[in-house]
Amino acid sequence: MLNPQKKSPFVAESRGQVPVGHLSSLGEVLGKKLEERGFDKAYVVLGQFLVLKKDEDLFREWLKDTCGANAKQSRDCFGCLREWCDAFL
Amino acid sequence: MAAAAASAPQQLSDEELFSQLRRYGLSPGPVTESTRPVYLKKLKKLREEEQQQHRSGGRGTKTRNSNNNNTAAVGMGVRPVSGDLSYLRTPGGLGRVSASGPETPLGGPGGASATLTAGSKVLLGFSSDESDVEASPRDQAGGGGGRKDRAPLQYRGLKPPAAPLAASEVTNSNSAERRKPHSWWGARRPAAPELQSPSGRDGAADDEEQEGEDGEDRDPEAEEPLWSGRTVNGSRLLPYSCRENYSDSEEEEDDDVASSRQVLKDDTLSRHRPRRGHSKPLSPLPAKSAVGRLETSVQGGGGIAMNDRAAAAGSLDRSRNLEESAAAAEQGGGCDPLDSSPIPRYRVNAKKLTPLLPPPLADMDSTLDSSTGSLLKTNNHIGGGAFGVDSPRIFPNSLPPSAAVAASSSLRINHSNHTGSNHTYLKNTYNKPKLSEPEEELLQQFKREEVSPTGGFSAHYLSMFLLTAACLFFLILGLTYLGMRGTGVSEDGGLGIKNPFDETFGNIQESEKNLMMNTLYKLHDRLAQLAGDHECGSSSQRTLSVQEAAAYLKDLGPEYEDIFNISLQWIFENGKDVGIRCVGYGPEEELTDIVDVQFLQSTRPQMSFWCRFRRAFVTVTHRLLLLCLGVVMVCVVLRYMKYRWTKEEEETRQMYDMVVKIIDVLRSHNEACQENKDLQPYMPIPHVRDSLIQPHDRKKMKKVWDRAVDFLAANESRVRTETRRIGGADFLVWRWIQPSASCDKILVIPSKVWQGQAFHLDRRNSPPNSLTPCLKIRNMFDPVMEIGDQWHLAIQEAILEKCSDNDGIVHIAVDKNSREGCVYVKCLSPEYAGKAFKALHGSWFDGKLVTVKYLRLDRYHHRFPQALNCNTPLKPSNKHMNSMSHLRLRTGLANSQGGS
Repeated sequence: MLNPQKKSPFVAESRGQVPVGHLSSLGEVLGKKLEERGFDKAYVVLGQFLVLKKDEDLFREWLKDTCGANAKQSRDCFGCLREWCDAFL
Repeated sequence: MAAAAASAPQQLSDEELFSQLRRYGLSPGPVTESTRPVYLKKLKKLREEEQQQHRSGGRGTKTRNSNNNNTAAVGMGVRPVSGDLSYLRTPGGLGRVSASGPETPLGGPGGASATLTAGSKVLLGFSSDESDVEASPRDQAGGGGGRKDRAPLQYRGLKPPAAPLAASEVTNSNSAERRKPHSWWGARRPAAPELQSPSGRDGAADDEEQEGEDGEDRDPEAEEPLWSGRTVNGSRLLPYSCRENYSDSEEEEDDDVASSRQVLKDDTLSRHRPRRGHSKPLSPLPAKSAVGRLETSVQGGGGIAMNDRAAAAGSLDRSRNLEESAAAAEQGGGCDPLDSSPIPRYRVNAKKLTPLLPPPLADMDSTLDSSTGSLLKTNNHIGGGAFGVDSPRIFPNSLPPSAAVAASSSLRINHSNHTGSNHTYLKNTYNKPKLSEPEEELLQQFKREEVSPTGGFSAHYLSMFLLTAACLFFLILGLTYLGMRGTGVSEDGGLGIKNPFDETFGNIQESEKNLMMNTLYKLHDRLAQLAGDHECGSSSQRTLSVQEAAAYLKDLGPEYEDIFNISLQWIFENGKDVGIRCVGYGPEEELTDIVDVQFLQSTRPQMSFWCRFRRAFVTVTHRLLLLCLGVVMVCVVLRYMKYRWTKEEEETRQMYDMVVKIIDVLRSHNEACQENKDLQPYMPIPHVRDSLIQPHDRKKMKKVWDRAVDFLAANESRVRTETRRIGGADFLVWRWIQPSASCDKILVIPSKVWQGQAFHLDRRNSPPNSLTPCLKIRNMFDPVMEIGDQWHLAIQEAILEKCSDNDGIVHIAVDKNSREGCVYVKCLSPEYAGKAFKALHGSWFDGKLVTVKYLRLDRYHHRFPQALNCNTPLKPSNKHMNSMSHLRLRTGLANSQGGS
């Protein structure tokens, strides 16, 4: 998602502008659900990830509860965020 | 306990939920409205498991927690379970995760939080790219290390030492960085805390602890890594840093290290370490001194050796490290490398870090970043790591001048350098076999620049070849000489004569026979001599007329004259070659009788030795010449064929490029037609050509274009060639006939384009000022994936285009063989280099994160002597700016983002 390898438009956009629907592992439907809960930007999800201390189970659980992500989606999302954090934090 | 709380989890307040989770050993984050449900679920699960465990009698929960922790870079370790290890990990983890403030003054607070944040700051750092030039990478490393150490210290419940222990603090941070399975160090660990308590041994304690931590860090490599995360990190970093080292070893500064090492050595010596006597070997020496020290250390010889090695290596710049590690490797046979090596290093780092306390915060941050960040990165994000390390490294350079005040200061500087080398060192010390690898790599690094290997190779073969050629020549000469010699032997003539004599001259009497034989001999000799002279060029006459022969014989003796005719008769009738030939006036005249014989000729010229030799020599030379000529002809033919073949290849490649472009154009036109029904669905061929080829190229590319058109007509099924009347004139047009519904939109992923900036360059991740005019840009390409011969030009173009506003780049070199995709750039001055740094560092290029670091000018010149005289700014070759196409498409967003 926050991954330039996907050649997504995110690559050149500032982090603040990426809507959560652009998180490639989540897709549009889940993105909408997250937006409804208040996680309208990718960085907010990132914030949640960090608040959960980057714990895999907790984050994936949260993701499932919040937007109904399946195992693969949550796993991808978690992996993406973790890599991004490792790289830039 | 569980029952009461489990009954109504929903009524738990946040604090209660928090404490409940803590009781299970979890380290939960803040319980907010979004995290609350998750934590509640977790608590429920934990309780269920606990109940199950009570029933089953096992305790397996912890593993789950460990797993969680392991997945995260630092994660929340299950501290109690892992025992020693956990506390080490946690502080680092906490430090990282709870990275509150961006800057944490190293010296000041020294509180746990400060340390932790400092540690986390470090984590923010960059991979330990020990590179280069910059100023005190050692300072940074030292600082980072110190900070890390603090964390574990605190965790252990020890009061962080006061100022005097600042060094240890630094060291601790360092060791925290390198925290690896401490199982090996478990034993030492208990000793370390004890040592720490006595305040009298502040220094020693720190060292001990550091050593312990060092050892622990080291352990993971050798022993079973308990913490996959860390180990992975370390191992990844090590090879990476090793490689870095080698590439940067040329760039490292030796002087400071040497001097600082000296000081460091003294300092370390002053601190008595029971176990680590060897740590003293910080003196800049090669393994020898380290070895000496090793022996003195209390610990096992091997371990000590390692320590010394580590210490020495650490303090020395990379190149030295290699020597030392190599030497140490030889000595440290059975010793446990893990133990020793990290320890001295940390100590060094600690010292280095201490002086860094006074320096501004920013520097500290960078230092920490460099030392810790690199190590902590479990995931292989080399791009991020790389740049991380680089930037901090740059900072240290500015620090040493200010920091070098006291011996300890210099020691610290040494330490930071040491820290830098720690990574490489870790690699060195951990695996003996690997010790030779870095060395080999380093040597190869240098070898690459030298031509001697190949030169020596060819020189050797050349000499062999010459030798064999000479021998062969003389052999042939001798054989030819022998061949010539045979003609001069008169015995053959005699033999030849003897045989027929018996057959055909039976009627002649004995006396006459002898006389005749003598006559013939004499005649033969005379003729041979004459012929020899003639052959050797001294006489122009080859034959002897009959009269002259008779006169000659008469001179010799009267009896010869009588027998002359008989002899002639005999020769004449004798069909065999007796050495004398009778010829008439003409060469082809058939002689029927002796009266027709006019001339006598020798068939076996007798030549002097010198003449023979000369003739043989000439013959041999001629033959050799012919041979060489033949070989040269063959070579020429081969070269020509190769040239033609390459040219063919080139043309074919161009043709395919053209075909691809045409298809793109047609397809995009087709798509445009889908949306815009006003457009014609076909495109005239000449129009396509003119849009793809520039006017000045059209003549050159005519052949390529024609071939492409033919190829499309024959091999491309999605394009149909038709004839249409446009504007009254007939045109051959192409129509794209693939229905777009069926084809999926294949995103054309252009390669080699700049794709935006990953982060803003600010004080934290880039040096405040440019240090040198030379840059090393990493991660621009993957040498394995590149095909063709000209891709490096595209890379150069891309860099020039990205820095198109910077007309200070004078030399670019793409290292085609580097695994990291390195490109070296030299600018007119550090300011230009800084500008280029800002434009390139942290940008995405071709899907890879580009990192830049500064290089030392002298090393750059050493590596690229041709850059010494480059003064003209380089510009992109054309105005297309192909590599910036993606950025151009973006609106101002990209521009504002990309620039910094």
